[in-house]
Amino acid sequence: MVSIADLNNTNWVQWCPGCGDFGILIALKGALVKLGIEPHQTVVVSGIGCAGKLPHYIRTYGFEGIHGRVLPAASAINMANDRLTVVGVGGDGDGYGIGMGHFIHAMRRNYDIAYIVHNNEIYGLTTGQTSPTTKKGVKTKSTPHGNIETEVNPIMLALASGATFVARGYSGDIPHLTSLIAEGIAHRGFALIDVLQPCVTWRKDLPYELYQKMVYKLEKEGHDPSSFEAAIKKAQETERWPIGVFYKTQKPIYTDDIPFIKEEPLVKHDISNVDISKFIEEFM
Amino acid sequence: MSMQAVNKLNFMVGGPAGTGVATMGLLFAKCLQRSGLEVYGTNDYPSLIKGGHNTYMVAASTEPITGIVGKFDILIALDKTTIERHLHELSEGAAVIYDSNKVKDAESLAQGKNLVFLGAPLTKMAAEAGGEIMFNTVALGASMGLLSLDFGIIENMLNKIWARKGKKVADANIAAAKAGYDFSKSALKSPFKIRVEFVKREKTMFINGNEAAVLGAIKAGCKFVAEYPMSPSSSILHLMAGHERDFGIIVKQTEDEIAAANMIAAAGFAGVRSMTATSGGGFSLMVEALGMMGIMEVPCVIFESQRCGPSTGLPTYTEQADLLFALHASQGEFPRVVIAPGDPVECYVEAFNAFNLAEKVQTPVIVLLDKFLSETSITVDDFRKIPLKVDRGKLMSDLEMEKASGFKRHAYSPDGISPRCLPGQKNGMYVCSSYEHDETGYTSEDPHVRVAMIDKRARKLSSIPQEMIAPTFFGAEESQAQLLLVCWGSTKMPALQALRLLEAEGVKIRMMHIKYASPFPAQDVLRALQSARDVAIFEGNSQAQMRSLIRQQTGFYIKKAYLRYDGRPFMPEEIAEQVKKFLQV
Ligand SMILES: Cc1ncc(C[n+]2csc(CCOP(=O)(O)OP(=O)(O)O)c2C)c(N)n1
Ligand SMILES: [Mg+2]
Repeated sequence: MVSIADLNNTNWVQWCPGCGDFGILIALKGALVKLGIEPHQTVVVSGIGCAGKLPHYIRTYGFEGIHGRVLPAASAINMANDRLTVVGVGGDGDGYGIGMGHFIHAMRRNYDIAYIVHNNEIYGLTTGQTSPTTKKGVKTKSTPHGNIETEVNPIMLALASGATFVARGYSGDIPHLTSLIAEGIAHRGFALIDVLQPCVTWRKDLPYELYQKMVYKLEKEGHDPSSFEAAIKKAQETERWPIGVFYKTQKPIYTDDIPFIKEEPLVKHDISNVDISKFIEEFM
Repeated sequence: MSMQAVNKLNFMVGGPAGTGVATMGLLFAKCLQRSGLEVYGTNDYPSLIKGGHNTYMVAASTEPITGIVGKFDILIALDKTTIERHLHELSEGAAVIYDSNKVKDAESLAQGKNLVFLGAPLTKMAAEAGGEIMFNTVALGASMGLLSLDFGIIENMLNKIWARKGKKVADANIAAAKAGYDFSKSALKSPFKIRVEFVKREKTMFINGNEAAVLGAIKAGCKFVAEYPMSPSSSILHLMAGHERDFGIIVKQTEDEIAAANMIAAAGFAGVRSMTATSGGGFSLMVEALGMMGIMEVPCVIFESQRCGPSTGLPTYTEQADLLFALHASQGEFPRVVIAPGDPVECYVEAFNAFNLAEKVQTPVIVLLDKFLSETSITVDDFRKIPLKVDRGKLMSDLEMEKASGFKRHAYSPDGISPRCLPGQKNGMYVCSSYEHDETGYTSEDPHVRVAMIDKRARKLSSIPQEMIAPTFFGAEESQAQLLLVCWGSTKMPALQALRLLEAEGVKIRMMHIKYASPFPAQDVLRALQSARDVAIFEGNSQAQMRSLIRQQTGFYIKKAYLRYDGRPFMPEEIAEQVKKFLQV
């Protein structure tokens, strides 16, 4: 039995008091406990940003790569050892800005990984510049006269790119987020969990109270996550902010088409003396 | 022509891109190789899919051969331009094979040169054999007929190549080749000036740099390849992909080189031997991840086949201008291994070594190739005769980790190399981080930790044995040599051929070939430079980058340098001439 204590460590947590990242960390731990996944069988992969520091605060294996490259790293770990549980975490800038290209490709390939995006609509670690999800008109350090760009809609993007599990959570509702993350990890295929994450330092205009008022749960309003059309509709809603599973479907995962890792993961293949005789003879 | 020369010739096939020039050249070369000769084959082509002017050149001899010397004895011209362009490169009495229906009055192009013009209705003959598309097989057959090469060898070769397409296709190609073969036999008024006689010997391989690197990587147990196509590295991707199921290798074409580099880093972290291949442009995109591999201490292998830069440059032409880039790419300081093999055998061995070193030293290894080396083939002995042993360094077993407690992934150690655990193993949980970190992997900005970690990582290169990185010497003994010729990477091939030419003229030259740019064999290099009567360096870039590196590492400045940076590889005669010039001043 895995307990929360197994996942805790004593590392100093560098997030601001009240940061929405705490809620995500707690929910992730809760999800792993709920699923009974052993800490040594889990790899949490991150990029750079406030969100990217998460792997240090959970006692599993971790890979804290470079800014925007969570998904190439996470997918490679999944291919190298598909028996592991791989969870990617990162910021909105990391995933929807610098890492946008990887995001789309990872979804169409349907790697068996879960990807949690700490979406605070700001570049937190770099002290408050506009992000791809910052709404039009918002003043940040890099948009002092108000942002003149239209934001990306990650849920729409995920749906269009073939993601097989598309969800949005809210870091202020930890029980709900915990079950979303657990469902995403358990999902066979690429699971996006975009998380509304208040940034108490750089987005004082987006306080918990506002999120609390705006969010509502899709499942409570009879949304059918098997309907792509309904998902598209909900994904465009802005008057209120839906959280929950927008869309869920089953498709073959990337590694299904790699026959030679069925018996043993790649990392367990014997490489001590590879016989290349046949290949050599091609050049004779 | 009364006396026939035996088993020594130069051959060229030329034509527009998309007409199978390279395939024909390769087939010709392989037939000679299978006749027991030493064969060298190389190509020249612009960055085009159709049109343009492509050539493939072959030199064959009974002696080891690593370059083309002298003029061409056979030219297969798939268009008129080929004859016009290469007329001045043809030897006395050379044969020109062409399609008589496409090139009219070819003889008028001879400009008084004594040549054998063999115009055959290639396309028509091919159609009769089963399809116009085989016109080049007819031409190939004609060239073999000239040389009286045993037709059985051609037949075997075609059977092997076309086996996948079925017996019908193979038979049609054999018929086409036979038609060409018989044509030149009957069209010749007197025997051609050269003939090929079968030489009995153990089976050899005919292989280029990229192919050999792939074999070395697979032999080393490479399990994961992530690559984005870029000439001249793409054939590595193709070859790997073609064999992924034979060897159980995941071969992933990525969305870009950034993804490729980050993927191989993560796969290395997860415990599989991983690699990417690219050229300078793609390597530029990988630079940030390269530094990450360094600070994370993950094993990874990057093949960088250089082409002319900067930027898109000359995509299909060669250069040795990424040496200093490979050595310095990325912010900050970390140990890296940079190897520049000189020929296909070294590509095989060093590709293998690269994977061992990456795991032993737990750091990225860059193997520098170039367009010339990637696509130049030579005859080599069966690679299976080279003893190679996989060594995974300080990798912990599952059993060892079960008993572990307080395991520190980045533990300080005398040689700087820490025992490595893998995700999935018990008791090893740590964060593999791009931030500076303490022994456990946790982020640290402590000044003492910083210095200790920089020093720990830097120490790791010292564990690479000196014998492995030592330069290799060829030619005259040190005491006899008039000059020490210094070169690195692929310049080894033309330089060795130049040495053979000079030796025949009684000029005594010693050659030092440098293979490891990092760690650099400073002591060996300095000793050789100091003991030489005279020194000259030959390299394929405009800034004499290896000369700079040598000076930086040894303090020795090589005054004489001959640099080529027009996109073409060195020619043996060019090097020999230049050596003689250096000796005069
Ligand atoms: C290649 C590169 N460019 C820029 C940076 C600087 N940088 C670090 S984090 C970051 C953005 C952080 O925003 P986000 O991804 O939304 O994460 P958050 O801090 O908000 O959690 C930037 C631009 C970097 N580390 N690497
Ligand atoms: Mg952010």
